[in-house]
Amino acid sequence: MSSIRVDRLSVNLWGALLLCLSVFTSLNASAVPAFARQTGQNCVACHAGGQFPELTPYGRMFKLTGYTIGSRTIPLSVMGVASVTKNSNSSLAGPKDGVPVFGTGSVFLAGKITDNIGIFAQGTYNNYGGDSGYQGVWGSDNFDLRFADRLIDANSDVIFGLSLNNNPTVSDVWNSAPAWIIYAPTMFGTSGPDTSPIVNGLGAQVAGITAYAMWNNLLYAEVGAYKTANGVFSFLSQGTNNAGQTKLAGSNPYVRLALNHEWGAHNVMLGVFGLNVGIHSDPLDESSPTTKYRDRGIDAQYQYLLDPHTVSAQLSYVRETTSNSIASLGASNDSNTLNALRIKGTYIYQAKYGASLSYFNTTGTTDAGLYSAISANSSPNTQGWTPEIFYMPVQNIRIGLQYYAYQKFDGATTGYNGTNNAKDNNNAFLYVWGAY
Amino acid sequence: MKTFNPSRAGKLLGISLLLAVTACSSPDRSRDLNDATISASTTALQVCSNCHGAKGVSTSPNFPNLAAQSQPYLVKQLTAFRSHGRTDPEGFEYMWGLSSHLTDDQIKGLATYFSQLPPTAGNVDHYGTPESVGRGRVIFEQGIAAESVPACATCHGAHAEGSDQFPRLAGQHADYLVKQLNVFQNTDQRPDGVAMKVITHNLSPDNITSVAAYLETMGPAVN
Repeated sequence: MSSIRVDRLSVNLWGALLLCLSVFTSLNASAVPAFARQTGQNCVACHAGGQFPELTPYGRMFKLTGYTIGSRTIPLSVMGVASVTKNSNSSLAGPKDGVPVFGTGSVFLAGKITDNIGIFAQGTYNNYGGDSGYQGVWGSDNFDLRFADRLIDANSDVIFGLSLNNNPTVSDVWNSAPAWIIYAPTMFGTSGPDTSPIVNGLGAQVAGITAYAMWNNLLYAEVGAYKTANGVFSFLSQGTNNAGQTKLAGSNPYVRLALNHEWGAHNVMLGVFGLNVGIHSDPLDESSPTTKYRDRGIDAQYQYLLDPHTVSAQLSYVRETTSNSIASLGASNDSNTLNALRIKGTYIYQAKYGASLSYFNTTGTTDAGLYSAISANSSPNTQGWTPEIFYMPVQNIRIGLQYYAYQKFDGATTGYNGTNNAKDNNNAFLYVWGAY
Repeated sequence: MKTFNPSRAGKLLGISLLLAVTACSSPDRSRDLNDATISASTTALQVCSNCHGAKGVSTSPNFPNLAAQSQPYLVKQLTAFRSHGRTDPEGFEYMWGLSSHLTDDQIKGLATYFSQLPPTAGNVDHYGTPESVGRGRVIFEQGIAAESVPACATCHGAHAEGSDQFPRLAGQHADYLVKQLNVFQNTDQRPDGVAMKVITHNLSPDNITSVAAYLETMGPAVN
């Protein structure tokens, strides 16, 4: 698709969006997105302390039962993020440093389709996308079409279903899953380690079908397989050009297990996941050598939800082993490991005032072939903190201030690339997030 | 550039899946609140149980226990949620939407279903200290004459079991009771409880906590 056609399409879509917005506004003065219109409930019913995307126990049930609770309504929502990022070192900052920007806007198709089928599909317009980083591009974002059924009586409860999705772990209902633990990162500053496990990098590149079951709200199991989102599934990777798309070799297995327990106002989850993928070194050549990734994750979440208090904590640790085939990705070693740890704690008062603190620490094998371009000692090791404060004046608007503080970046605290220190990547990120 | 080129196999797979999932739809397992033909027990288990528990006893004190609650009281509350007559946050955040399409018969059916479930054994949250539970028991049984607070047992029953006019309080989550007592005392968000505004007028925060702590400990037949 040419960029001119994309621009024209985006103009038309924005026009349609504005029209929808004005129609909805006249229908319903208290602005809430599609799922809330479907259930008639407030955001806090499904989102912990009202903060998207973290789900409450009830929100998890809503998702597991296929987004089908409530009454069918117009299943459309919109979301936008405007922001300003200020980098600590102007030499690492781009032309948008300190400049207010409208970064991304999303349209959601979200709601109940039948008694057993529902959808959460997000298309995102990135104002700063494309090859240059400054083109407006529409693309597929999170997608989860699911079928669910529930066998429940007074003594036993089994929810089971199928999900067609485009991002491993996006089907998950806990916020410690890689697809959900971070949201609204800065686009014009360093928002985390340069190197991440592959499970973080497959969104809107792949298509997968997973089957899941939750037994007595205690044990959750999910198995599935992912392949490249092309052919009949290419709608799941729109916005990614063929040469830039991650190409998986065949079907790639995903497994997830979690133990969930709720008592009083508390709930806790302990989970593991595994994802094996093979990725072609040349996206345009299906016979090109593959790099094999084995991601093994352990994660945990705790929530205390009792009005007016919301406390939540997440832990995610992913250990990735990579087997490099000859010349596949330019790696020097035959195999590498990468360990990504992330811990986050959040407190919210009255679903209005919140603060969070997250810590991240990525370590990995030294590899000159992979990392020498970014790291003087060829190491991906990165460590830092992200404190945030936020305010939600109404339930669908959030104003937040994040600070990214790096203690180590690409292998060193000072002179990691021969020139810069880790803290040169520090940046402050002020954003306004809104959804309707 | 990728092209949208559905393969025959893909179409077959899609059709097969659609047939499979459509075949699975069943009114016995429906979560549709708009369909008045769905039985009350199905709605209670498929939808209400998410917050109120499969046996009408909720895990989280954000949500009240409904098991063995008085049927007329439940009808009154669901009707008030549906008409937006009950405006406390615990009500409108969750219940306005879910009740909006319920028919009178569905409301009666759900109220009857929950009223017939066995009551909770009580003391699930271990909310109060022995001292506060003791103070609460005195308020429940005798009231506070000096502050014109009547005994709760007068209306709610000797075992707080409730009646047609007054709700069951025995075994209810203390945090929920505290919040509702504050709603009655400080707001007009529950017009049906206007009598409680007068009754709770002189209750201090400590006394509210104590009486809620005691009520939460009460099982089906506390002596």
